[in-house]
Amino acid sequence: MVNYHPSDELLMQFAAGQQSDALGLVIACHMEKCASCRQRTALYNHIGGELLDHSTPVEVSDNLLDAIMSKLDDDPEERNFEAGNIVLETKQCVPRPLRRFVPDEFSKLKWSGLSPNIKEYRLNIQDPHYTAKFYKISAGKELPQHTHRGNEFTLVMQGSFSDRAGDYHAGDFVLADATTIHQPKASEMEDCICFAVTDAPLKMTGFFGRFLNPFLS
Amino acid sequence: MSLDANQPPALDDLIVAIAQHRDKRAFQQLFQATASRLKAFAMQCGATAADAEELLQECMLTVWRKAHTYNPKSGTGITWLYTIVRNKRIDFARKGKYEMVQSDDLWPEETGEELEKDVASDLEASVVRNMLEILPDEQRQIVFKVYFEGKSHSEIANDLDLPLGTIKSRLRLAMKKLDTFAKEQMTWLIIILLTNF
Repeated sequence: MVNYHPSDELLMQFAAGQQSDALGLVIACHMEKCASCRQRTALYNHIGGELLDHSTPVEVSDNLLDAIMSKLDDDPEERNFEAGNIVLETKQCVPRPLRRFVPDEFSKLKWSGLSPNIKEYRLNIQDPHYTAKFYKISAGKELPQHTHRGNEFTLVMQGSFSDRAGDYHAGDFVLADATTIHQPKASEMEDCICFAVTDAPLKMTGFFGRFLNPFLS
Repeated sequence: MSLDANQPPALDDLIVAIAQHRDKRAFQQLFQATASRLKAFAMQCGATAADAEELLQECMLTVWRKAHTYNPKSGTGITWLYTIVRNKRIDFARKGKYEMVQSDDLWPEETGEELEKDVASDLEASVVRNMLEILPDEQRQIVFKVYFEGKSHSEIANDLDLPLGTIKSRLRLAMKKLDTFAKEQMTWLIIILLTNF
């Protein structure tokens, strides 16, 4: 059961197809798990349909219809990239929208250690505004207390974590910003793996935080 | 379903005819009915006239190939066309750059899964057609900027020379209004439906 959702603004931007690549992917991963946000997005698609319906017509070239009709019986171009919706057995646990961007299942990724219990994996997503990373917090361990210079959008992919504001489970979408000071702790049951998209690096606040900070930025 | 020559057929019926019968006449009618607006939409998103026609062509070819994925129970034909032009716009800007996000990554092809409130959305699709009209101009203007210009709140604030807080509260009001409106419609429709049985 998904309990934490993106705001209406974010869902509207998503339905408008106007989100930055990395942020769009976080929303898409959440939507995969969340029927209520799929439903809400249908409403914003409907608004898009209205905008299209009310667009003031612009004249179209005379020969365009003929050109299109002549192509109807052509075979569609072969898709030359691995489609995200092909279910790859080896990557079952990776959300579908990310499968093209993650080479392997979570356990086989080249994680780099921020500390023995906190590891990260940087995704190669071209986005001028956001950096996209996976974080893995070992079961029962916590991140140093920190705040954020900008916004951080996090989706829990596996396990769960908690901070003073709540408990977050797989599919939950969590926004942390400059007003959030937290110390997320993974549940004792299993490692917690999150997909986080950040528009500015983390800013550690505690002693270990300051110690860790240079490696993060 | 029949296509009555005296009355322009509904888009939804045309799309279904294309899907079920590979009906080229229905396809031509769909083109006539929507091409000038699809082109206009692309241009409102910033495309040149030439690019808009290329985009339009790709949209129409997708309509032909993917008509079977249209589910009249999950939305109107125009909304389905909207999702196509939105997705093609995204992919057009990233043509051949598969290391970038493509529309297929963000929106899976319909898998046949019905949304939880499929009955409600079916009803919504047939009756709630003018949600935008209920918004005051100042709120509608912001919705336009989100859909057509992809503007962030702070960019919209700059454009309109207004404080960021004003933009945020207007957008929030717009959302709330649309949501309330949709729910009211839904409630009425459910009452009508229930009393009819």
